[in-house]
Amino acid sequence: MEKLTPQKLEQLHKQKKQQQGNLIRVGMSSCGIAAGAQQVYSVLKEEVSKRGLPVSVEKCGCLGMCYAEPLVEVQVEGVPTVIYGKVNPEVALKILEKHVVSKMLVNDYIFTFQVE
Amino acid sequence: MYTKTVFLKDTGADTEERTRQVYSVFIDLIRNHNLQDQVQVVRVADIGIYNQGIVIEILPDNVLYANVKEEDFSRIIDTTIKESKVIEDLLYKKPSKQLRIVLRNCGRINPESIEDYIAKGGYLALKKVLLEMTPDAVIEEMKKSGLRGRGGAGYPTWLKWKFTRQVTAEQKYVICNADEGDPGAYMDRSVLEGDPHSVVEGLIIAAYTIGASRGYFYIRAEYPLAVERIRLAISQAYEYGLLGKSILGTDFDFDIEIRLGAGAFVCGEETALIASIEGKRGTPRPRPPYPSVKGLWDKPTAINNVETLANVPYIILEGADNFAKIGTATSKGTKVFALTGKVKNSGLVEVPMGITLREIVYDIGGGTISGKPIKAVQTGGPSGGVVPEEYLDTPVDYENLQKLGSIMGSGGMIVMDEDDCMVDIARFYLGFCVDESCGKCAPCRIGGFQMLKVLERIASGKGKSADISLLKRIAFAMQKASLCGLGQTAANPVLSTLRYFENEYKEHIDERYCRAAKCVELLNYTIIQEKCKRCTVCVNQCPVKAIAGSRETGFSINVDTCIKCGRCFEVCKFKAIARK
Repeated sequence: MEKLTPQKLEQLHKQKKQQQGNLIRVGMSSCGIAAGAQQVYSVLKEEVSKRGLPVSVEKCGCLGMCYAEPLVEVQVEGVPTVIYGKVNPEVALKILEKHVVSKMLVNDYIFTFQVE
Repeated sequence: MYTKTVFLKDTGADTEERTRQVYSVFIDLIRNHNLQDQVQVVRVADIGIYNQGIVIEILPDNVLYANVKEEDFSRIIDTTIKESKVIEDLLYKKPSKQLRIVLRNCGRINPESIEDYIAKGGYLALKKVLLEMTPDAVIEEMKKSGLRGRGGAGYPTWLKWKFTRQVTAEQKYVICNADEGDPGAYMDRSVLEGDPHSVVEGLIIAAYTIGASRGYFYIRAEYPLAVERIRLAISQAYEYGLLGKSILGTDFDFDIEIRLGAGAFVCGEETALIASIEGKRGTPRPRPPYPSVKGLWDKPTAINNVETLANVPYIILEGADNFAKIGTATSKGTKVFALTGKVKNSGLVEVPMGITLREIVYDIGGGTISGKPIKAVQTGGPSGGVVPEEYLDTPVDYENLQKLGSIMGSGGMIVMDEDDCMVDIARFYLGFCVDESCGKCAPCRIGGFQMLKVLERIASGKGKSADISLLKRIAFAMQKASLCGLGQTAANPVLSTLRYFENEYKEHIDERYCRAAKCVELLNYTIIQEKCKRCTVCVNQCPVKAIAGSRETGFSINVDTCIKCGRCFEVCKFKAIARK
């Protein structure tokens, strides 16, 4: 990687800011991992690549709702972005099937929290 | 594709079943209106609002209704869903919300990707500082922001930086104190794991401001993931030219190294931390001289906490004035708390200063798990104290908590209900400090140990009436004579529980009674023969087979074998076990 200059930093910021796409984020901080996020992450990664689904799976930090870990945030075009909590591998597969493929939200696992 | 989404949750009942019933009623109505292809209705597990009956949120309108009755459903469908109009009388004002500055990127970016951080405006604050601001201008900006140290003591950050900058020396250092060790507190860990670059950026800005060319991350070894992510963040920053020689093409050079803490709580104290980095035994030394004058290897050193540093890029980018708008007169910005204990939604919360404890515990935390009333909230960890229920409406800031005999501390917040014994709590925290005392100064080493012995005596029912004044006397001596913050504050949990719950101490001493039934040595379990149905559930559940007898003659508890675990008390459906 070439060292950044102020201009290049600015460019990179603008370029990266605009990148949008279907995305699944799995909370992979200590709290999430302790609750089983590693397994959820692996299942999602594996299934997405196996079925060639148009979504990328990424790690993220702790959102703060440790009581609801493992947390999975899903941003898919045409569906409101939501955060699923207490996700296990089974629910993770359901999320892929319903949310990502059929564009329908999954019942009983959505956690919304009121943050500005 | 759906044009509207309806989130639905019955927040009044704890059972999912209620939400299911409401859901089917609503969905039937949607079908009657033939809207099932345009509207999707979703049962939500948690909508962030508690005890407000049926809550309905409609997207993309972002309309939130609470305390909705089933007869309102048709109105909602006709008005809000069909015509996108708001029904004023059902509208719910969102409760006191969290405000995220420190946790702005936590959970929003991949912590292992520097480009994700840059996408969110990362390192733009550094660019602004290096290109447009003199170190004095940065200090001025920090002064305007009113940011105070988030490690616990609340020392103004700008002043610390100014003092360190003022001293002339050929070498200066900055240190990020990530030796978070309070029981129940993990705010810093989450920031390091969720948004490591924000702390790295904050540290680089601090270094530029005071004129340091070397910096250290002091992280406790118990945080392996945090260490891994900080290590990765630092190496990425080097790769992108944000660390090392001529950062961003300017003439500013700065290097960071990581040092691991080996598990001593006292190393969170700044002079002990410095000794530890120098390779010496981690014990504090008297101040002054302060580290800003004589710190690491006797050079001027600025030590800042993780959360403090994570605030810095935000202040630079958003402006000190915007930051100073948040909070109270003396405490600006937000504070991250690790909300734990008997609270329903344990986790991290970031709230503006000046919010009340009640709002944090009830509106964000959802109240207690057990539904029992709150007895007190512990803040500030082993250096802090308890805030009893009647003071929960106090706005949270450094001064207010101090007035109540507690401290802001690093951000641990433990909710306690009626089942928590205050003598037991005091014993736990003091025990922690006694374990962690480095032993260098006598007031802390001996005072702590003796106080703990007195507390143990009280908890075991052998307390004397003079014990309370003895505790106060030793506590006073420790506060006045200990060398460092650990010893000076170790007695705080005892003093604060004594201040608000002295009657509980007296009950332990005079009546040999623990109202929370926590102090096992004061408890006795007996079977009330009149109520006993001889079902033998307790007999089977007793882990030490202390309950003997037969269905014909009845049962009794053998006092000598009984370990007072309380299992029989919990399992008896007929309330036939007496606990006294």
